[in-house]
Amino acid sequence: MGILEDLGKRLLFFDGGMGTLLQENGLPPGELPELWNLTRPKVIFDIHSQYRKAGADILKTNTFGANAIKLRGSGHSPEEIISAAVGIAKKAAGGALVAMDIGPTGKLLKPLGDLAFEDAVAVFSEAAQAGKKAGADLILIETMSDTYECKAAVLAAKQTGLPVFATVVADEEGKLLTGGDLPAAVALLEGLQVDALGLNCGFGPEQMKRLVPRLLECCSFPVILNPNAGLPRSEEGKTVFDVGPEKFSAAMEELARDGVWILGGCCGTTPDYIAALVKRCAKIPPKPIGRKNRTVVSSFAKAVVFGEKPVLIGERINPTGKPKLKQALRDNDMDYLLREGIAQQQKGAHILDVNVGLPEIDERTLLPHAVSEIQSVVDLPLQIDTSDPTAMEASMRIYNGKPLINSVNGKKESMEAVFPLVKKYGGVVIALTLDENGIPETAEGRYKIAERIVKTAAQYGIPRTDIIVDTLVMTISAGQENAAVTLEALRMVRERLGVLTSLGVSNISFGLPHREHINAAFFLMALQNGLDAAIVNPGSEEMMDTYFAYCALSGKDEKCMAYIDRYSAQKAAPAPAPGELSLSGAVTGGLKESARAAAHSLLKTQEPLDIINSELIPALDRVGRDFEKGVLFLPQLLMSAEAAKAAFEEIRASMGREANRSKKEKIILATVKGDIHDIGKNIVKVLLENYGYDVIDLGKDVPPETVVDAAEKDGVKLVGLSALMTTTVANMADTIRLLREKIPACRVMVGGAVLTPEYAKQIGADFYAKDAMASVHYAQELFANAGGQA
Amino acid sequence: MTDRNEILRYLGFRGKPADERTLQTMESCLAELEQAVTPRSIHRGFPVAFSGGAVTVGGLRIESVDLARHISGCGEAVLFAATLGARADFLLERAAKADMSRAVVMQACAAALTESVCDEFQRKIAREAAKRGLYLRPRYSPGYGDFSIRYQRDLLNILDCRKIGLSMTEDFMLVPTKSVTAVIGLTKEKTSCHIAKCMECRSLDCPFRKE
Repeated sequence: MGILEDLGKRLLFFDGGMGTLLQENGLPPGELPELWNLTRPKVIFDIHSQYRKAGADILKTNTFGANAIKLRGSGHSPEEIISAAVGIAKKAAGGALVAMDIGPTGKLLKPLGDLAFEDAVAVFSEAAQAGKKAGADLILIETMSDTYECKAAVLAAKQTGLPVFATVVADEEGKLLTGGDLPAAVALLEGLQVDALGLNCGFGPEQMKRLVPRLLECCSFPVILNPNAGLPRSEEGKTVFDVGPEKFSAAMEELARDGVWILGGCCGTTPDYIAALVKRCAKIPPKPIGRKNRTVVSSFAKAVVFGEKPVLIGERINPTGKPKLKQALRDNDMDYLLREGIAQQQKGAHILDVNVGLPEIDERTLLPHAVSEIQSVVDLPLQIDTSDPTAMEASMRIYNGKPLINSVNGKKESMEAVFPLVKKYGGVVIALTLDENGIPETAEGRYKIAERIVKTAAQYGIPRTDIIVDTLVMTISAGQENAAVTLEALRMVRERLGVLTSLGVSNISFGLPHREHINAAFFLMALQNGLDAAIVNPGSEEMMDTYFAYCALSGKDEKCMAYIDRYSAQKAAPAPAPGELSLSGAVTGGLKESARAAAHSLLKTQEPLDIINSELIPALDRVGRDFEKGVLFLPQLLMSAEAAKAAFEEIRASMGREANRSKKEKIILATVKGDIHDIGKNIVKVLLENYGYDVIDLGKDVPPETVVDAAEKDGVKLVGLSALMTTTVANMADTIRLLREKIPACRVMVGGAVLTPEYAKQIGADFYAKDAMASVHYAQELFANAGGQA
Repeated sequence: MTDRNEILRYLGFRGKPADERTLQTMESCLAELEQAVTPRSIHRGFPVAFSGGAVTVGGLRIESVDLARHISGCGEAVLFAATLGARADFLLERAAKADMSRAVVMQACAAALTESVCDEFQRKIAREAAKRGLYLRPRYSPGYGDFSIRYQRDLLNILDCRKIGLSMTEDFMLVPTKSVTAVIGLTKEKTSCHIAKCMECRSLDCPFRKE
């Protein structure tokens, strides 16, 4: 297999477009081009042969859509088509290499769409394995517009052992369709260790000229470019492209000189384009790529680079010392985690730490679940924080991007568990300077461990740029020299080892009063000693003040813009002094912070339950009545609900854990299978929670069995279902049927845009809720009659 | 320009004046959406043939009396798709977790923005059509009347909607959710483009119906 050896010695050439040529040969719109491998192999063979004659080194098989999803209903299996396609290409290859071509499934992955990540991996695996079996020389994953789907395809392709190339499609701004930018895509693909990566389709080489420098700037791997023949336009019902072979190859020549190693074409390009391209570029020596020495992690949306400006890692999603988070984890209250995540992003965190380790919790299930839920509402990169390698692997696998990993340490066992994962899934790993003998007391001792970790990582093929050393912070209340040792080790790691550093800053003050003073001072000292990343609470004003001031003072904040941005706005809007309003006034007015403050001051004189019954509930009732009368409207109703929620949180915090566990009636809410519009359900949830019900939110696209299982498990007496479309009301009917069969006593209320009272009755529901307040009334009535209390 | 009154109507205000905070939230949601989303569209024109209660466009036979009536007299039709993209869904999901009152306003804003974006794209199609002396009928989408949403699959395939990042679920729901597919009839009659969509629709009890 010579291709990888040839890479870098000479430029390599892909062939050009396939679809355009098939259309010229009479392929009608909507018909699957892959079927022609079976029905018109001669046409495919001729196209391959022409490309080979034009000088292409690599032929792409006609298998772009040959996957189980796109072929559904075609009467043919992926393997049948792929085996034929690879066979045809091999016959035409005459010394050229055959790339098994894999395009997107055409479906969106969860959480945006309904294709599960592992299902996508399985679909791509089937295709990749068929390609390998049929004798393909490499796998080309192309036209990927979603980094997550691309990751699924790469994981599947890597399993074959063949070289894997991957190209994505970006718009002229350099964004993928799902919103990710090029540095994020490059971080992901390099982390997954593809053999070459780049861009295809989208537009022509002229437009790519703007993107290629950005790509080359962050890429340490060989770059591929397969553009279209310019921009498409419609001419008498036919798609034509605006760039001819000469102009195409001239633009490509510039890009080859800039450093692209593998060149070819996509839509609209023909053997003439490839012939012109090869003629013009074959003699150009590949420009060396050079390692970029970047330490970078990414989310699906963006990359975060270490070593430029200190990076803040939000520490709030970690149960250590946080009773509320512990409780949320025990209650499986994912919303609490998500709100913590969103709040930290708003407060300026660059990366979020995610740790859900509690003795009674199954981290192997919960950590990947939390990671994927957080990624659905936060677009920052995440730090996967666990000591359980199984939980770590499960989370790294489903993570959309290149994660930060916390952590590895100098123990043999730890390195043997973690490094293979970093190698397989990609990631930057935090290395703790401790080993079998514990934490060395001296800086030299910690440095030695860091050195050993970096060396061992290299044996696994993990570069030192993918390691960040944590020289371990220990409280000064246990030893005066602790701060000095940590900082000395930090300097040694940066200067002698040339590796970046991170610290869990706030550990320094453990056991001391007013910890934030010590934390902020130590943070500043560490920054001054070259700290590259810090795990901090972005909600701490003092820490953030230190950070912004340090960046301004050290020249890391150009023209002090970030500092000015943050602090000049603060004066502009003085917050209204909370506490002036009565609780019921704050709830009616929908003022969250005032409601919290009012509840706080009432708690000094009144019993929690009295406040709820004499203030909160009456206020909510009043708002609810006004809503029903058409005096107040949905946004106002919900503002009041959010204010009440804040007050409830304050009140509950003052009640003992036992009181909180007191019998609250449970209600299940779910948006039925097939339905992904869940805003109505979410509105109902907020209001039911206000009225003291314990809502078990099963989310959207929920199968009937899941609803029934949940209802059985918790002995739930009321289930609320929502559906938006006529097609999914059928699934609602199925859910009700199954509930009736398994739990006859359970009541069902339904709601959603297409439902009517008659329709609800027809599908067997007990109650049609025309809006969220109606569902509250039904619940109150039901539980009052049942003798329970709301 | 996104229609503010449309947004308030979606939120149930029905012509009554909205409170200051809702108005502020609306402006802030619109700004957040407009800054973050990249709307995309795709379209393709085909001749139209009628037979009984069915219409054939671009090789696709659509059994729908309502669609047939809607584009009756048109010799051509444009198949159209547009989406606000994945970012809009991300922002909606985030708002739903952080603050439901903002989430409902954001939802309404995104729906109105989708409409205005479609109108914008459609103006380009109208200009192209005008050169040939043709006018656009209003968009008619799967799910309206008896035009089954099962046709989403075919529309997405014919238009190759993958290129604008538009797909659907197993149950024919468009994803990203803030998206539209439609058939737009082209006709020589100039008056045809002023029919309000709601007047055409048979969902008389729809909460969003315009009076």
